[in-house]
This record gives sequence, C-alpha cells and structure tokens, in this order.
Amino acid sequence: MKRHTRIAVLVTAAAVVLPLSACGSDDSSGGKPTAGPIDIWYSTNEQEQAWAKTVVDAWNTEHPEEKVTARAVPAGKSTEDVIGAAITAGNTPCLVYNTAPAAVSAFEKQRGLVNLSKTFKDAESFIEQRSGDAVDGFRSPDGSLYQMPWKTNPFMLYYNKDVFAKAGLDAEHPKLRTYDDVLAAAKAIKSAKAADFALYPPATSDYTNSLFDFYPLYLANSGGTQLVEDGKATFTGEAGLQTLGFWQQMYAEGYSSPEAYSGDMWAGPFSDGVAAMGIAGPWGKGQFDGKVEFGVVPLPTAAGAEETSTFADSKNVGMFTSCRNQQTAWDFAKFSMSKENDAALLEETGQFPTRTDVTTVAAGFLKENPFYEPFADAVPRAVDVPNIPGSSQVWTTFRKAWDDTVLSGKGDVKDAFGAAAQTIDDQANG
Amino acid sequence: MARTLRLLRYGALGLGAVAALLPFYYMLIGALQKKRDTSLGGLLPDPSNLTLANLSGIDDSFSLTTALLNSLIMTAGVVACTLVFGLLAGYALAILHFRGRGLVFALVLLVQAVPFQLLMIPLYVMVVRYFHLADSYAGMILPFAINSVAVLIFRQYFLQIPREIFDAARMDGASELRILRSVAVPLVRPAILTAMLVTFIGPWNEFLWPFLITKNPDMQPLAVSLANFSQSNSTFQANPMGAVLAGACVLAVPAVVLFLLFQRHFTSSNLGSAIKG
Amino acid sequence: MTAPHPHRQETRAAGGSPSGPQLQGSSRPVPHASARAGRQPRPRRAHRVERWLGRHPFGLALTAPYTIFVLVVFAIPFGFGVWMAFHDYFFTAPGVSVPHPFVGFDNFTAVLGDGDTQRAFRNLGVFMAINIPLTVVLALSLAAALNAATRWSVFFRASYYVPYVTASVATLAVWLFLFSGSGAVNHALGAWAPDPSWLANKHLVMPLIALYVTWKQLGFYILLYLAALQNVPRELHEAALTDGAGRWQAFRAVTLPAVRPVTSLVILLSLITSGQIFTEPFLLTGGGPNGASLTPALLIYQRGLEQGEPDAAAAIGLILVTAVLILATISRRVMERN
Repeated sequence: MKRHTRIAVLVTAAAVVLPLSACGSDDSSGGKPTAGPIDIWYSTNEQEQAWAKTVVDAWNTEHPEEKVTARAVPAGKSTEDVIGAAITAGNTPCLVYNTAPAAVSAFEKQRGLVNLSKTFKDAESFIEQRSGDAVDGFRSPDGSLYQMPWKTNPFMLYYNKDVFAKAGLDAEHPKLRTYDDVLAAAKAIKSAKAADFALYPPATSDYTNSLFDFYPLYLANSGGTQLVEDGKATFTGEAGLQTLGFWQQMYAEGYSSPEAYSGDMWAGPFSDGVAAMGIAGPWGKGQFDGKVEFGVVPLPTAAGAEETSTFADSKNVGMFTSCRNQQTAWDFAKFSMSKENDAALLEETGQFPTRTDVTTVAAGFLKENPFYEPFADAVPRAVDVPNIPGSSQVWTTFRKAWDDTVLSGKGDVKDAFGAAAQTIDDQANG
Repeated sequence: MARTLRLLRYGALGLGAVAALLPFYYMLIGALQKKRDTSLGGLLPDPSNLTLANLSGIDDSFSLTTALLNSLIMTAGVVACTLVFGLLAGYALAILHFRGRGLVFALVLLVQAVPFQLLMIPLYVMVVRYFHLADSYAGMILPFAINSVAVLIFRQYFLQIPREIFDAARMDGASELRILRSVAVPLVRPAILTAMLVTFIGPWNEFLWPFLITKNPDMQPLAVSLANFSQSNSTFQANPMGAVLAGACVLAVPAVVLFLLFQRHFTSSNLGSAIKG
Repeated sequence: MTAPHPHRQETRAAGGSPSGPQLQGSSRPVPHASARAGRQPRPRRAHRVERWLGRHPFGLALTAPYTIFVLVVFAIPFGFGVWMAFHDYFFTAPGVSVPHPFVGFDNFTAVLGDGDTQRAFRNLGVFMAINIPLTVVLALSLAAALNAATRWSVFFRASYYVPYVTASVATLAVWLFLFSGSGAVNHALGAWAPDPSWLANKHLVMPLIALYVTWKQLGFYILLYLAALQNVPRELHEAALTDGAGRWQAFRAVTLPAVRPVTSLVILLSLITSGQIFTEPFLLTGGGPNGASLTPALLIYQRGLEQGEPDAAAAIGLILVTAVLILATISRRVMERN
C-alpha cells in the first residue's frame, strides 16, 4: 500500500512537471523588432550607477514613449547564476550591462541571448566601427555577435613603492620586465620581510580565479594567444609552460600564498599591504588610493618584451531574448555607447570603453590623469577569454591541474597540463 | 566534591562562552577599525584606530530602515508559517495514529534532505512564471514557509511528553481540537520558542533566494542589500573588511536582541508547572 | 512505519515514546495516567473508519496543510529534478524546443565514475564522522552544565547562541584569522604548525571545516537539549542521588534516557544538514585544495549552475538524497527502538 502511494506521488509529480519543460509559445521569435518601454540592469558599483543614471535620464527625456527602467544588480559571482535562472524563467531584462564574456556561451546555449548580427541591420557596422578588431574575440563559433563589446579593463602589474623601498629595490623604476626579475624582487622582499608575500592572487579553487593569475601573464608571454584556439588548448606550448613554471616557483618558494585570503581576495592582499605586487585593471586605482603608495608597470614575460598583451577583463552588454521591445533596446544600447557617453564612462568610473579611438576620446581625461595612460595604451592589445562552448568546464579543468601542481608548488607541470589539455580539447568541442 | 564539580562546570561553560563570543567580539572590533589590523594586537581596541565610518558607509549606500523592514516582514511570515505547519504536523506525527503517517514522516525527511541548490532553478521558474510572485513578499517566503526542522522538533517534544496525558484528556471526552489547543500547545511552549529561535535565523540570513526573487531594491531584505554592498561597493571604502564586518553586525544585532527578549520566557515555562496549572 | 494493523501500531507507538518505561516506573506527577491508558471496546462503525484512516483520522487533517504545501511547492521542482537525472537536459529560455532524450542511468554512471563525485562523498563521510559525534557530546554536556548552572545562565545561553546567528562572512573571517598560515593558531603552535598550513592542507581542510560547522551550529543543538532538559524533573535526578548513585551514574540513568528522543533528533538533523554543507567550502576554499573540501552540495552547485549541467547535478543530488535518507532511517531505527 505504502509503495503504491509513493509511486502515485511520483507520477503526479511527473505529470505536473511536464508543462514546465514543454510550455512554449511566446514572445521571443519572429517579426520585426518593436519599440516601447524596456528594462535594463547595470552594476551596483557606485561610480557606474552614477553614469547609468545620467544616461538613462537623458534617454528618457528624449524618448518618453520608449522609457527605460533601470535597476542596479550587483556584479558578483552569483549574478551569472541569477541571469541563468532568469533566462529559464523568461524574465530577464532587455539589456544587462556587465555581462561577463566567459558566461556568454552558457547563456547562448540556453538560447537566452539575441543574435545581434542577424536581428539588427546596422549591428555589425556599428559594433565594428566602435571596437575594431577587438570584436572578433567576442564572436561566437557561428560567427555572429551575441554581445556588444562595452568596456575593457586591461590588467597591469601594480607594485607597492614603500615595500619595494624597504626591500632595497628601486621604487620609481623597478626592474620587473622578466619572470627572473619578479622572482629576484620577490626574494629580496621576502628576505627583507618587507611584505608577507610578493604576489597574492585569489587562491580558492573557483575556476574564474585563473583570470587573475595564469591568464594575464600567459597572454602577455604568448603575444595574446587565447587559452583555446581553433578548438585546441594552447597552454602546453613553450609560452604556456614558461608561465606555469614561473607561478609554480612563486608558490614553491612561498612568494605567493595558496590559502584563501581573509577579506576581499582580489584587491585585498595588495591594498592591505600583505602582498608587494598585485595584478589588476585600472579600477585598482580607486581601491588602492589612500591605502598604499603604488606604481604600475606592464606585465612581465619570460624574456621581457617591449609591448605586451594583457587580459582585457571586458564587461559587455547582452540583449536577452525575453525582451519585447528589442528595437528600443538596440537604440538605447547604441545611445549609451556614443562618443559622449563613452567619454563620460571613463571619467566617471576610470574604466575604458572598448573603442579603437579610445586615446582620442579620452585625450582630455588622460591629460588630467596621466596614471591611466599605460592602461589606455594597452587597450588595443587587450585580449579576453575565448568564446567557446563548454567554457566553464574548460576553465574548471584548467583550474584543477593548477591546484594540483602550481598551488602545491610541486609536481610535473608538463604532465599535469598535458593531461588537462587533452580533456579541454574534448570539452571545447562540445 | 560538589564544589569541584561546580568549578569544573563553570570552567567548561566559561571556556565555551569565550570560544563562542570571541568571533562576535572580533566582528565588533573589526567593524569599528579605521584601518584593518590582522595582527593579534588588533584584538584589543586601539582608541586611535576606532571609527563609526564603516557603519555610515553602509547607511549611505542603501536605506537601512527599508531593508530592515523587508527582512522583518519576510522573517515574520516564514516563522509564522513554520510554527503553524510545524506544530500541527509534529503533533499529529507524534501523538496520533492515522493512515499515511509513515508517508508524511518520510516526506518531512525528504524535503529536508534535498539540497536547495538542486531545486532552486525549477522552483524559481515556477514561482516567477506560474505563480507570478517576483518582487513580492509571498515569493520570498514561499520556499521557506515549511520547515522540516520545526516539524521534527515538535514531533520529538511531543514524543517526550507521556502519552497518558493525552489519553486521559480523551477519556474525559475532550475533542481532538480541544486537546490540541488546551493540552498540547501549552505543554510544548518551550519547544515553540526553541523552534522559533532556531528557524528564524535561516530566512533572516538568507541571501540567494531573495536575491533571485527581488530585483527591486525597495523590496530587498537586509541580507541582500548588505551582500550587494559588500560585493560591489565595500572595496571603495577606506576599510573594506571593516565595512563587511559592520554589515554583519547590523545583520546579527537584531537576532541577538530577539534572543535576549525571548529567552526569559524560555526558562519560565516548564512542564511541571504546565501540568499542575 | 504505517502498519495497517492497529495493534502493531500500538506497540510501535509505545516504543516510539521513549519516556515510557523508565519514567513510568518512577513516580511521575501525572494524574490518573496509567488507569486510563487501557483499551476499551469501541463501536463497529468506528472500527471501519479506524481500519481505513487509522485510529485518529484527525491526524490527517492536521498534517494536510503541510502535505499539501509540500506537494504544491516541492513536488514539481523535485519531480523535475528526478526527471532531469534520467534525461540529457539543460535549462533553456521558455519557448525554445531542444530535444532532451531519455538516457536511462547514463547520468548516474557518468557522475559515479567521476573522481570529483567520489571525492565529494568521501569528504562528506569525513565531515559526518567528525561533526555528528562531536555535536552530540558537546551540545549535551554544555546543555547539562547550563541547565544545572544557576548563575549567569542568561549570559551563557546568549553567548552560545551568538555564533549560530552571526552571518558566515563574519565568522569565517575569524576562523581565517585564527587558522591562516600566519594566523594565531600557527603562532601558538610554533614549530608544530602543520605544513602546508590548515586550509592548504588536503588532510586538514575537511576536519577543520567540520570543526567550524560544529562550533557554529552548537548553539542550535544546545537549545534543543536545553528545552528537553527542562522537562526532566529535577526530583528524579535527586531521587537517584539519594539512592546512592554517583553523579555520573545519575546522569546516565536519568538524564540520558530522558533526552534520548532529542539525541535522536540531533543526530537526524546533523545528518541531514551535513548532507547540505555548501557555504563553508564555497566561501573558504572553492572546494580546494585539489578537491579536498569538495562536498556534494557544492558539486551540485558547480555542475548545475556554473557549468550548465543540471542533469548531472540532479543525478548527484538524487544519490545524495538517497544516501542521507538511508542513514537517517538507520539512525532513527537505532535511536527510537526501545
């Protein structure tokens, strides 16, 4: 009897479940995009809120029929989960400012993102004109664009001037061009007890953390080769092994800490003076100002290069399929990326719009804030994550090998990452 | 002998209390520090390093009173449902014999054993798409309204009460409803308080679900507003960790106050007096 | 559990009420109790109702709100989870039709063969082996001490409750402060400090998390024990003492059996909450070093939400639920048998 009832419960459950998966029919497909009121989400970061409010207000006064309702949604790890859930429920906003390129392939697989290239006639021309070659890095495997490149935050190496001086190093023009330079500096810092660690990237096993240690240095060392190219993992080449070896040595010598940081694990170690150097984008200035005296140099490479590539840490704009008035969404997106609004973004937040003419648009700003010049220079050479299916699996596999041999400071890097590369080749092909 | 025992007892209790309070103290101190001090010496208050700036940083960033009110509404709703559903089901499971009792008990365990991470997206789709409860208190409350922990607590306390009390009342001709109201409920008053004190904190600290449900900042409970703050804006504060800890204080203080308010009742009612009274 | 035969129910019920034999034997202040407990003949119609609905059909009415709520709110998502585990599935936007073929037990064999899943369940085993016994022993002894203590009891009670209500971000910060490589504990240990340090050490990280969770939730279990201890009449304890029993013997003979149902509850609850350990590894280690602090719930989150494989996540979830329910049933059988 009992068993029967239980089965009955399951059957009933299954019967009510089916509608959830099979329910179909509405909004997204077909027809010409329409105009009307739309919703957007932007980041809760205070500077960005100020920028977004101005832009939205300006738009709304000019377009009373196509009102934009804007909401601040925090840009954190959980935001991507929230967007994923909202896609499934069909209640995503029209536009999300701060869409991480690494999440795009997953959203696309869910059919949550609008194919901009196919939906809007002027999409290709507008985006290419604004962002130039950088666009190609964001194309999906089918060649279309499902995201608008928006802003770029090229990573550089920050160093703490006081710590460097205390360790007897040159604090104004430190020698940090090659891996050997960095290791030598780390050694000096450690023996002088000038800081607890030389570099302290986030050490937990989250797959996204590779964007803060390995990937920026690898891009610099390899001249901008993405983690996976043409469906093949690239990091087992010489450039990759050099970068991996460098990091393994950092951990083996105790110059970096394999433990989670107590506090903000990205900016905290550098701004608290625990780490002598930090890898960060232009936003670092806002977080480090008033806490430590710092300078900025380009990322080091194995041999020392003149102009290095770096990680772009881009945040883009995605348009979601649940949007009813896609024409308005597109028009507003273009409006928000006009020359004036892009310049305002830079001035308000210190983050660079992904534009080919960023140095002209930003000329006035850079003159007043020379600190940002090296970042502006790096914008054209900044590269982001590859847009591949299974992106998060790929990075997870990479991070596991990293945990195993790099964080622990021991083990054969070539073997471990050779095996990871094989797994990744499979994962990247779906 | 009795003396050493008492000494031992207070020694153990004191040690436990220190272990329990140290983090709370650390949180308070950390929330008041101008500059973060992670050394051992940082545990002692340093007057030159104390400030209320971390707290005011939070207040500037969102409306504390709105968030607090939202938290209160959500938590009160959850606790009310939890207690009502839990008391009824717990009583029935412990005292009454009816067909399907085993099944209900299995259901209680099952609900508690399923990890929320598994249910989250289907639940979200259902609540938002079919129940249309996005940005509403009902939507926030719904998944937490039944709490198997409360059912189990009530069941276990009723089991502990001698069955004869209920049988006696039944023999006296009292209706089942009356037995429930005037025998069972007064008997488990400590359990009601326990259940309230232990289930209240779940919805109070819950972040992920209300964050999913509410995008309107005027609807967001404190835990969500604080997480927003500590994820995106605390790094711009003078002492980021201080700001995060200040947020944790704001969240913890109402809970501790509530406990202090209710713990008085927690002691005064005991079974002996309830039976005799 | 629901034996259709009323007499068998009776015996189970008597067994299920652990305060039964020990307390009945003593002089419990319950008026007319045993005299009225006897069975009396009942009319035939009542017999029929009883056979179909049990002796107290009112119980059905009382549990109905709960059951209906569970069915409305949880049956659909859970049933959906079960369905997903047997299909090739991922979440899509509404209106999108993507084939989701039935794959039988493929998801299960895939996750069971995966090193991560095996590691996560092994870690969970380590966690339970430390967390559950420690929780019972510490909660019971502190609650007993607290119950006997007359001075400062409000202070003690409040202080044990504090970690339980304090948000994890704050309490975890303190543990990091204590257990990080250059933290207070390693300072105190000096040369004996573990290498690699606690959180980076694959043998120590899970025990440390188990210790942390035990500490954080202790206040909750102490409250459970306290409420129960207050129901144990002091006279019983005193009677045992005057009979010449030592304090430890009195504790074993009177207190321990009297709080047995709560012990059973504590074990059940810590078992079930163990199965859901997520926040701590999520915030502290992300599952590292090298999977040493991966738990099934964290894995479900990573596979289902981060990596977009809800079908695999659902399979892990069902394995976890089954394992936890089996353990819960065993613990209940052991603890609630007479």
